[in-house]
Amino acid sequence: MTTTRRVHCIIPPHLLDKLLESDDSEVRKAALDTMLTTTRLRGERAIRASFIGATAPGNGRRTVFDCRQGRVLPTATLVRTEEGTASQDASVNRAFDGLGLTRDFYHDVLQRDSIDGLGMRLNGYIHFDRMYNNAFWDGQQMVFGDGDGRMFTDFTGAVDVIGHELTHGVTEYTAGLAYHDQPGALNESISDVFGTLVKQWSAHQSVDAADWLIGAEVFTPGIDADALRSLKAPGEAYDNPEFGKDPQPAHMNKYVNLPNTERGDYGGVHINSGIPNKAFYLTATRIGGYAWQAPALIWYESLKASTSQTQFQDFADTTYQKAEELYGADSAEQLAVLAAWQDVGIHISGIPTGIARTRSHTARHNGGVGHEDGVAALSKQIKALTAQVKALAEDVTALKSSNALKSSR
Amino acid sequence: MKVSLARHGGQAAAIRLQQPPEVVDTDTLPRSAATELTRLVAAATASAPAVSDRPGRARDAMSYTITVQDDGVTTDLTQSDTTMSPEFAALLDWLDKHFTRP
Ligand SMILES: [Zn+2]
Repeated sequence: MTTTRRVHCIIPPHLLDKLLESDDSEVRKAALDTMLTTTRLRGERAIRASFIGATAPGNGRRTVFDCRQGRVLPTATLVRTEEGTASQDASVNRAFDGLGLTRDFYHDVLQRDSIDGLGMRLNGYIHFDRMYNNAFWDGQQMVFGDGDGRMFTDFTGAVDVIGHELTHGVTEYTAGLAYHDQPGALNESISDVFGTLVKQWSAHQSVDAADWLIGAEVFTPGIDADALRSLKAPGEAYDNPEFGKDPQPAHMNKYVNLPNTERGDYGGVHINSGIPNKAFYLTATRIGGYAWQAPALIWYESLKASTSQTQFQDFADTTYQKAEELYGADSAEQLAVLAAWQDVGIHISGIPTGIARTRSHTARHNGGVGHEDGVAALSKQIKALTAQVKALAEDVTALKSSNALKSSR
Repeated sequence: MKVSLARHGGQAAAIRLQQPPEVVDTDTLPRSAATELTRLVAAATASAPAVSDRPGRARDAMSYTITVQDDGVTTDLTQSDTTMSPEFAALLDWLDKHFTRP
């Protein structure tokens, strides 16, 4: 039986890495050539972007300011720059390092130059207000509180929280997801997903080794809570007398309807994010390996293809489509996406339930096998391409020598 | 006069959603503290925008609803970290200090 796979020209970097390790020298060479070409193109694009220069590019340069317990950012004191030395204040250095890790994650993993893709400067404000139990993105920069010392501690201590906040900036420059109801919960989920990916990538953790928690470090030792949220088990991050039980749902049948007001967390954006969070976790664990590879790429491409009003269903459909574009129809990656959304109660549009069930069953029981199929298919494609390039090169050589013959006459 | 404070949103939004507001009654305060709180409430009320100013592009910023019950009249003041007036901030600061006092 033969199956046709749609393989697109843009080969994701991690697959190229895999092809570079191929036993077949021609496949290795073709992968290397592709890599060099895309690197060259990327360089050109970066140069073009710097000519356009919409905002002064800062190469993602970091600056940390100390609010000294005040609430007014413009009066904060500059305490560390990209060139400056480390501070005596651990909060300064943690914020600085967290900004750097997030910037490097976007650069190295997703080839994105800072928040806006144009090297936007990264400014962090620490010691905001007195006993402030929060960290936030104010639309341009990120702000950290010290915590009250009773329940919460310094928010600079959680690298996934830093990744979460800066990702709000990335979302603003890409999909611009509205901050209420389902688009708002997706906005929150995207921040949790890339927040935990920054942590997993920087600690080189596989999907099995990662804790999938957000903000495990923000509580004081006396508080009985795992974290602010859990992507692996939404609704189970805490259950104690001080906080009550984590109200995040992990399935559409538990979606929490709250009013679109401050009091209602704008329709529960920090509550219902549990549903897409769980879908990402399930996708990543089904694909296996490192979550910042295929799963991150599928989610990132889907974010870029989303708009301000994207609902859960739209986003799920987009991830399915992107998984196909990146890895091929019926690839292990695409089946993992299909099964993951199905498990949280969202059925990909246009896939009859019966077929979806069989396919996702295959995804669950085939593990990495399908993935190897995808790589094998790509290898074949690259081999064919290499043959074509070889033939072309021979033609060119022939042409050259005939030209040389002509001119020597 | 009864003044209550509810906090919303932020990274710990899900936790705050389940917390009851904190309340202070001026009748239970020393005279000087009661006078100070009354003054801060009056200033914050006078500076309140007609329509509550939503935090715009801010994400995970916290909002605060200060409810004032006085002579059978209830007034809700809601402002956020990124948009609050200095008068609202002064009232919030007083309440924060009062509620966290050991
Ligand atoms: Zn957020």
